Amino acid sequence: MKESPFHDKPRTSCALGGALAAISALPDVIPIIHAATGCGGNLMNSVAFGAGYLGSSYCSGSAAPTSAVTETEIVFGGAERLREQIASTLKLIEGKLYVVATGCMTEMIGDDAGGAVSEFAEAGAPVLAISTPSFQGDCYAGYEILLDGIFNRWLRGVGAGASKPDPRLINVFGVVPGYDPFFRGDLEEIERIGARLGLKVNSFFSPSQTFDNITAAPAAALNVIFSRTRCRGFAERFAEKHGVPWWATDLPVGPEATDVFIRELAAKLGIGGAERVVAAENEWYYRYFERTADSYADGELRFYSVTVTNSNYALPLNKYLYRELGWTPAEIFVTDRLDEARRADLLAGFAELPVKPRFVSGSQEIARSIDRGRPVYRGQRYFDALTPLYIVGSTLEKQMALRRGAKYLAVSFPAYDRAIVAGGYAGYRGGLRLYEDLIGSFMAAKG
Amino acid sequence: MGKKLKQIAIYGKGGIGKSTTTSNLSAALSSLGYKVMQFGCDPKADSTNTLRGGSYIPTVLDTLREKGAVKARDVIYEGFNGICCVESGGPAPGVGCAGRGIITAVELFKQQKIFEELDLDCVIYDVLGDVVCGGFAMPIREGIARHVFTVSSADFMSVYASNNLFKGIKKYSNSGGALLGGIVANSMNAGYSRDIVDDFAERTQTRIVQYVPRSITVTQCELKGKTVIEAAPDSEQARVYMELAERVAAHEESRTPAPLELRELQAWAAKWSDKLLELETGTVPGGQAAGI
Repeated sequence: MKESPFHDKPRTSCALGGALAAISALPDVIPIIHAATGCGGNLMNSVAFGAGYLGSSYCSGSAAPTSAVTETEIVFGGAERLREQIASTLKLIEGKLYVVATGCMTEMIGDDAGGAVSEFAEAGAPVLAISTPSFQGDCYAGYEILLDGIFNRWLRGVGAGASKPDPRLINVFGVVPGYDPFFRGDLEEIERIGARLGLKVNSFFSPSQTFDNITAAPAAALNVIFSRTRCRGFAERFAEKHGVPWWATDLPVGPEATDVFIRELAAKLGIGGAERVVAAENEWYYRYFERTADSYADGELRFYSVTVTNSNYALPLNKYLYRELGWTPAEIFVTDRLDEARRADLLAGFAELPVKPRFVSGSQEIARSIDRGRPVYRGQRYFDALTPLYIVGSTLEKQMALRRGAKYLAVSFPAYDRAIVAGGYAGYRGGLRLYEDLIGSFMAAKG
Repeated sequence: MGKKLKQIAIYGKGGIGKSTTTSNLSAALSSLGYKVMQFGCDPKADSTNTLRGGSYIPTVLDTLREKGAVKARDVIYEGFNGICCVESGGPAPGVGCAGRGIITAVELFKQQKIFEELDLDCVIYDVLGDVVCGGFAMPIREGIARHVFTVSSADFMSVYASNNLFKGIKKYSNSGGALLGGIVANSMNAGYSRDIVDDFAERTQTRIVQYVPRSITVTQCELKGKTVIEAAPDSEQARVYMELAERVAAHEESRTPAPLELRELQAWAAKWSDKLLELETGTVPGGQAAGI
């Protein structure tokens, strides 16, 4: 497969895509797609194959209920078709919450999904509608719209009969299912670290969670947002509605970042035990890591790094490569669409790194940026070799890496040249896993 | 010998007199001996009223909604002098896509080869409003209508809508879309109103096809549910519409207009506002003669 000069494959999808991917990871939550035929299937394929072969779950993916509107509904309105679909879904499919998510066409023709849903909600059915056309934003926006719908609209406040505030309970948001391909492994490591601190962690989207985690969310002592660019508005509204304060930080990858995370988290919650956990985890981590030193030092496994990721992963990944492995960042590409304010928020985190991220999403532009002024060796006497180079990006960077003779690993969406199941790069365990993957991917050529 | 079907779209801001102009144009063309279809593309479905004694006809979309399938003949009604009247209609207010409705209606006729079968000389699409969504642009895209005429008064909002339409025409001009035939200047009474539309036409490199004065005759005829051509064929207003019809019938070559950018348009409007104020306050002579 050659790099095409004209076409590009997307590194994101629409708001509906983000919402559907997230719903598919929530236990007992059933999507009802109110969109044109094709939207559900195409968006399902996006993450089912593009997120390390994430696949689908109960009544998600190609089994998701949909109103599948066609021309008749576009002309005359699709609300009736939606009512029919909600009624049949409630009858046939077991779930604890049903989320109607709209697409572009049904929004453009003015279908009142909220109105249709309220008829069922008033009759006591657990149904909610969210507005997720592409003009609301990309998959990351869709994730946030879903969170807003479930936690800030559907869930009753603590005062309205939910459980009492729990000082040892935290909620975790910001890691976007599918479009952060390691969301399950990453969230489970956060749950594990939280448990070591004596905390209960609602991560919602990992397989160890149940629907009860959702209903327990308003009782949490803190919302931890693992994103510098996403979920601010959601967290604000959550705080207003349920009185839970929020803290935005980066997903910690590797021991150094995780040490800081644990200390800050404990301070935020006013709990002790941070140093004990940090010491024990470091002991464990370095007993593994010290043995890599022989191959790492003698094998000269240091690289120039180019990363191509979304804004959530850019900083954690680069900090790990730069500070833990001692690699030299050459380029940092952030591929999701961010407004100026969000870019500024993200850039602030890169102060300690020698390279600032560039906001580019097109594969061609990324390839050109890397090649510009750095020709591939063709017998020149002197040239900026940018070698040895390691490209840590998505599968869309693979051909470029092969052409440049660079090492390469897919860690961001779309990642379809590897399988991702329980793995993640967050925390101590994730740090070791990332090392294994980075080095293992090219050692595979041996033998 | 197959004759060449002339397809024309009439656009303009709502309430500016599009349907009145279109119906009188259809009636006049038909009086000149042409076989005409008037296709109302407006959810209000009142474009062809005055061709049918003030009565409403079932719309394509209503029929489609009730029957599921439509034979073109079921939605074509005969009006004054054998004019074929069609209304695309629209969905219930607030839901559905009226633009898509127009597309559906037009597609239906194309599929069933109705234009050929009826041996029409001329199809006139009476299209709602300025180009606000792709659906309303349908008649000027994909080679359906070849010529666009816009109905405009000297009112700024009307000029604004026309300018927007010109932008739409320009956008599609390279991909086989319709081109601009000209402006039908409507409600031309005050002396300055002619100057305003003339100036706008010059600035956008188009031309005025006819100046239609505001007339009590039109109101009287419409109250009777008739066009001027039918109810007052010997009136001065009828002569104006007949002249318009002759020009439209003879019209062959349309052009790409040169719409003004928003800022240019605002500056243009401000200039005219100053000028009108000067006329009013007597800073420059001639205000009274100009109807101020």
